[in-house]
Amino acid sequence: MAKKVEVCAVGDLPPGAKTVVTVGARRIGVFNVGGSFYAMLDVCPHQGASICEGPICGTNKPVDDYRYEFMMEGEIVRCSRHGWEFAIKSGECVGVPGVRAKTYPAAAESGKVFVTV
Amino acid sequence: MFIVDCDVHNNWNSADVLLPYLKGWWRDFYLRGERTGPPGSLPHGHRAWFHPEDFKRQDVQPQSEAEHYAVMKEKHLDANGVDIAILTGDEPLECSTLGNPHLACALTAAYNDWQIAEWLPKDERLYGSIIIAPQDPQLAAKEIRRLGSHPKMVQVMSSHGSTMPYGDPFYHPIYEACAEEGLPFAVHLGGNGGINTAPFANGSPRYFCEAHTLLTQPAQTHLVSMVMNGVFEKFPQMKFVIVECGVAWIPPLLWRWDTNWKALRKETPWVKKAPSEYFLSNVRVSSQPLEAPEERDALWAVLASMNAKETLMFASDYPHWDQDEIGAVRLPEEWRENVFGGNALETYPRLPRPSAKTKARANGNGAAQQNAAV
Repeated sequence: MAKKVEVCAVGDLPPGAKTVVTVGARRIGVFNVGGSFYAMLDVCPHQGASICEGPICGTNKPVDDYRYEFMMEGEIVRCSRHGWEFAIKSGECVGVPGVRAKTYPAAAESGKVFVTV
Repeated sequence: MFIVDCDVHNNWNSADVLLPYLKGWWRDFYLRGERTGPPGSLPHGHRAWFHPEDFKRQDVQPQSEAEHYAVMKEKHLDANGVDIAILTGDEPLECSTLGNPHLACALTAAYNDWQIAEWLPKDERLYGSIIIAPQDPQLAAKEIRRLGSHPKMVQVMSSHGSTMPYGDPFYHPIYEACAEEGLPFAVHLGGNGGINTAPFANGSPRYFCEAHTLLTQPAQTHLVSMVMNGVFEKFPQMKFVIVECGVAWIPPLLWRWDTNWKALRKETPWVKKAPSEYFLSNVRVSSQPLEAPEERDALWAVLASMNAKETLMFASDYPHWDQDEIGAVRLPEEWRENVFGGNALETYPRLPRPSAKTKARANGNGAAQQNAAV
């Protein structure tokens, strides 16, 4: 059954920040993207490494000519080990169709951040 | 299972760690001479392709010089049950790019001394490589002879970037010294800048991903050159180790090469055997980055024809961005013991044999490793 787990105070996770909580045997990364909260299992579907030790960043949009169109700034977490890129909001792996990291609902309530696992 | 990791990078935050090992003029040169980057960078000609996120694992960020070993121990040696790690340095391979061979040799010598003094005593699992700058083979040979009898130095290593194919007689003084000291000669990806102007056939690619994908090219050139110039006839006991240059390209190259040699044998009459025979007897290949096709069985069929069971040696490339995890390298069950350790013990006779203690421990962690088998 789903349970709500307290992560930290809202003030401890400002926009652009991330933290990792342990829930039972699971490590879960929790992110603040532009004031909204998101959570992702900290296990890369590629080879099981910690995704959340990697940087939060943006990436480049697929385009039809030789130019760079930066997108999703602050909405990507890049796996610490081999650099696979995951959309924090959906868990989808950018550029590898069908691969996604497991995500969980997260939200702020009464000044605290909660994740539902 | 006894695990030998053939490519473990011992890095630094600042090349200033070499200062105690640089004397006189070379110390002055390092301190006051022009350099590639800010203070603390090692003089070298850098490659022209830059990794957009740096080439290190993001979860390995030592904050001090002392932390480099602590993090390696925690995140790799202990975590993965590595019994022996062969250190391969990091930036020092890039000394092959310098125009001044005396400077290049002084810097590699300082690195080799630093490695011996400050890394090898830290952990009995660590063994070393004598890094050389090949642009002056006489100086390189002198460095090999200077340190060749050190019991923990197990090979001589040079970058795969070079000014000429390594079979050229110009380089034979290096192999003469290797043979004399009983050390394998290894090439490792790197040195693709400065005086090494032609790492890629037909000119320079534009992107890092292109360059990294094509890192097989210089290794192909060197392998063919070594055999065609009779290096293994001249130095039959010497092993040639190819590190971080890919693997699956080798069998198709051997197939083409044997066919060509049968018709063209008289052009190189000093090459007495088919090229693939020299490969099997004298050449060993480290696994990382091991190709990972969706259809894994396709890889085993190809690698079987280079007798990978006897010629392939596990390497992780810790702590770089494309490191292979021991648990993620899936090999046919009957190859595992050889590839993860046995072949390295054959190639590097100075490595210690597994003791009763390590064997007992290996049996204890067998279940976890078994899960990674095909």
